[in-house]
Amino acid sequence: MAEMMKGNEAIAEAAVRAGARFYAGYPITPSSEIMEYLSWRMNEVGGAFVQAESELAGINMVIGASACGVRALTASSGPGISLKQEGISTLCDEGLPAVVITQVRYGNGLGTLFTSQCDYNRETRGGGQGDYRCIVLCPSSIQEFVDLMLPAYELAEKYRIVTIMMGEGTLGQMMEPVTLPDFVEVKRTPWALNGHYTYKKIGIFERDSMAEAVDLREKYAAIKENEQRWEEESIEDADYVFVAYGVPGRATLGAVRELRAAGEKVGLIRPITAWPYPDKAFTRINPDVKGIITVEENATGQMIDDAALAIKKTHKDRNIPAYALTYVYNTPPISRIKSDYFRVKNGEIKEVY
Amino acid sequence: MKEIIFAGSGGQGVLTSGLIISDIAASEGINVTWVPSYGSAMRGGTANCTVKYSTDGYIYNPSPERPDLLLAMNEPSLIKFLPSVAPGGTVLIGDTVEIPEGARQDVNYVKVNCTEIATSLGNAKGANIVMTGAIIKLMGDFTHDAAVTAMNHMFAKKGKSKFNESNARAFDAGFNAV
Repeated sequence: MAEMMKGNEAIAEAAVRAGARFYAGYPITPSSEIMEYLSWRMNEVGGAFVQAESELAGINMVIGASACGVRALTASSGPGISLKQEGISTLCDEGLPAVVITQVRYGNGLGTLFTSQCDYNRETRGGGQGDYRCIVLCPSSIQEFVDLMLPAYELAEKYRIVTIMMGEGTLGQMMEPVTLPDFVEVKRTPWALNGHYTYKKIGIFERDSMAEAVDLREKYAAIKENEQRWEEESIEDADYVFVAYGVPGRATLGAVRELRAAGEKVGLIRPITAWPYPDKAFTRINPDVKGIITVEENATGQMIDDAALAIKKTHKDRNIPAYALTYVYNTPPISRIKSDYFRVKNGEIKEVY
Repeated sequence: MKEIIFAGSGGQGVLTSGLIISDIAASEGINVTWVPSYGSAMRGGTANCTVKYSTDGYIYNPSPERPDLLLAMNEPSLIKFLPSVAPGGTVLIGDTVEIPEGARQDVNYVKVNCTEIATSLGNAKGANIVMTGAIIKLMGDFTHDAAVTAMNHMFAKKGKSKFNESNARAFDAGFNAV
């Protein structure tokens, strides 16, 4: 029998089982139970846990752990993730893998504690200074979150990049039956610092930054080509295709199935990677589709830009309208998604693009 | 798919009542979700959680939509959630809650004097367990014995099995009160 587990606790245990042996961070609702759990759990598995004096210190300790070849983790939300951006940019600059979990909460500035998808733009665009991206995974259930923790580290190490686990307040706070993955045996990364003077010292002025930039372009192109993940339903004959991720993604799946049962030709793309965006899914959409509709837990509509660009690329012969249904303060009820779909269909809601 | 909202003041045990019901559902191997209010939403003195369980497939949206049963342990909770209850649904209220004049008539109101019952059992803190028993009976989806076994298992996991006997008495009293 799968045990009922709180999201943040299941996620923390899954990180340990995926080989995470270092955690540093600073608590913030709705992510705090991740570090609370790891504060005792890391000791049991021979790992290290630090409650840092700030988010900045936490991410900088992650840089150190990663340089030493250890699977390192930090977690936060909203303003806490903003504070970590310089460190995330540094990890990307140094080619150091790490996993950063954000349980997104709504608002600008200090914001609120409500579950949200308001940080889509920050997570998918890099967020800090410079010319980089992070791989962004966006699960829709606790089980999927747990199952993605190992791939999160494998992707980070394969591409020497940061993987952001973009959750939501709800995914951290809710409980669902969860089957935990097995423990993996992890070796320190072969290139890591090892306590001996194995590597030539390279100062900042000795780096060939021009060549590194060109390499980056190739690295990100390879990620875009190879690592898109999504789930889809009924998009090949759909008149309207919904695009939604995370908890709104699973609610929208419910709406799509109810609408289909009522004779409406609708489909769904649920991105599992928010970056790279699953453009490839859009090639499979009905050539005669009448519109795409994003469902987002924010006020301004953020993922709509990526969805509109994707459909522009795959359906070149005409301009397909892209609509955004945006909801703040909690996941929209299935009934609301359905009624707003009919408002799109009868012209009450105008397209964004 | 069934949906229950548990709402009351902080400390009345509504989150625990929801946890017990969701653990009972999980022990039957069916899909179940439990979503609490958290953080500042609780600091106003109210607490609530939403439990959904389903024998016929995946639970798409774990967030509150249209509860089949509302447990309201105080009046602010009743006023807040009453409009969302499904027509024909059940509204279970505790001792101190009065149904406001002009309240909708298309739902079934059930009053259980849970605090009085719990106190008479010498277990004043067990009002939420009394209500848990009443909910199991009203929903009719789980047997009495399976529910008590799962409840005891849940408290045992938390190292609180010494309360199993008094919890079972409170559960029975609620089960038999409706």
